[in-house]
Amino acid sequence: MCQMAENDHAAIRAVLSGDKEAYGTLVARHSHNLFRLAFRITGNEADAEEVVQDAFLRGYQKLETFQSRSNFGTWIYRIAARCALDRMNNRKVEGAGRIAEEIDPQQGNAQMADQTAGPERLLLSREIGTMQETAMHSLTPIERTAFVLRHMENLATEEIASALGVAPNAAKQAVFRAVQKLRRRLAGLRENP
Amino acid sequence: MKHLSEEQLIEQHYGEGNAEVRRHLEECGECSEAYAALGHDLAELKVTEPPARAPLYGEQVWRSLSNSLPAYSTPRRFWPRASLWKRIGYAAACALLIAGAFLTGRHWEQRKPPIAGNDAQVKQEVVLVILGDHLDRSERLLIELKHADAGSAAAVSPLREEARDLLPANRRCRQSAMQIDDPALATVLDHLDLVLAELASEPGGLSEAAITRLQTEMNTDGLLFEIRVLRTRVPDKGPGRSHSPREKHYEN
Repeated sequence: MCQMAENDHAAIRAVLSGDKEAYGTLVARHSHNLFRLAFRITGNEADAEEVVQDAFLRGYQKLETFQSRSNFGTWIYRIAARCALDRMNNRKVEGAGRIAEEIDPQQGNAQMADQTAGPERLLLSREIGTMQETAMHSLTPIERTAFVLRHMENLATEEIASALGVAPNAAKQAVFRAVQKLRRRLAGLRENP
Repeated sequence: MKHLSEEQLIEQHYGEGNAEVRRHLEECGECSEAYAALGHDLAELKVTEPPARAPLYGEQVWRSLSNSLPAYSTPRRFWPRASLWKRIGYAAACALLIAGAFLTGRHWEQRKPPIAGNDAQVKQEVVLVILGDHLDRSERLLIELKHADAGSAAAVSPLREEARDLLPANRRCRQSAMQIDDPALATVLDHLDLVLAELASEPGGLSEAAITRLQTEMNTDGLLFEIRVLRTRVPDKGPGRSHSPREKHYEN
């Protein structure tokens, strides 16, 4: 990890000295991580890819503000979270309902399927996955992003707040609201497991 | 008993609860049940696994980006924080330099003899004013002595009286000259003291022979020259001293 950070810092020095290609090593090194985060937040492969590109673009433009004590991976990860949130907000403006309609059931199945289960269990798992995805899309962009960072990425409240550029209490409240909404949406699953 | 809120339970689930919440969960069955239900629900919310990307996905992203990124054309400072520290260092060095110059200046001023506003300077100025008068009178006396008509008692007698009058004043001036550490002035006043003393105490009166002897032995012409030189020096003697009308007269 430390070696990776050293390599990242060396690449940043090279980029700021005029070697644009050095940024390619940073992109190659952190793209997968950013895609995972972006997909979890946006729930959409195309959007996630756009978020990854947007994050690296913003990162390049702001590279001079990067501080030597920071970890580039963490820094670009936070930028990606903000990019994903922005994209979600834009989608919300365009029409929240359309996002739910765009969910590809096959894609959802691929993500949520329990490979060790039998056919009935597999079917139920697919159904649960679809319901969960629908429930996730019922959240506001900041609720969804905060929940993903908390529940799936295991970030602490302070880190979520920092990534989203909000106060820690606002980040905490976003997670609370997300959990409450999801529980209510998925109450049927509890009653009929 | 006040039960825990759902928010407290959620916070606890994600490891950010406090000891009080934990203690309450141990003691309260109702809250403990609610906490277990929350945990079950959140466990059901599976972590979304993204579709797999190709191993060279990163390179693909870079290729799509690279054409739209302008290179940083000139070498720039890499660490803004480091340059900030450098700037702070420069500022501190400048402040130190200014403080050092200030203290050195103060020390230098303290080492220099006082210029104005102290007793020594006032005393020196007073001495110079008195001295100016004294030298003026002494010069006149020596000129009169040089051109004195030894045969006329009426002409010579005032010279003896003037010499007697000038003698104590000359001694005071001489003492003052010693105090203000002016050896040249003291030497001239010593010489003048001898001449005045001879004039004042000449037992046989100021005969032509006595005057000639004085002029020869005491070199009164040389003394007159020295006094004239001193008179030109007196107005500039005191640093920063304003020129009084009398001093302007000396200069002329």
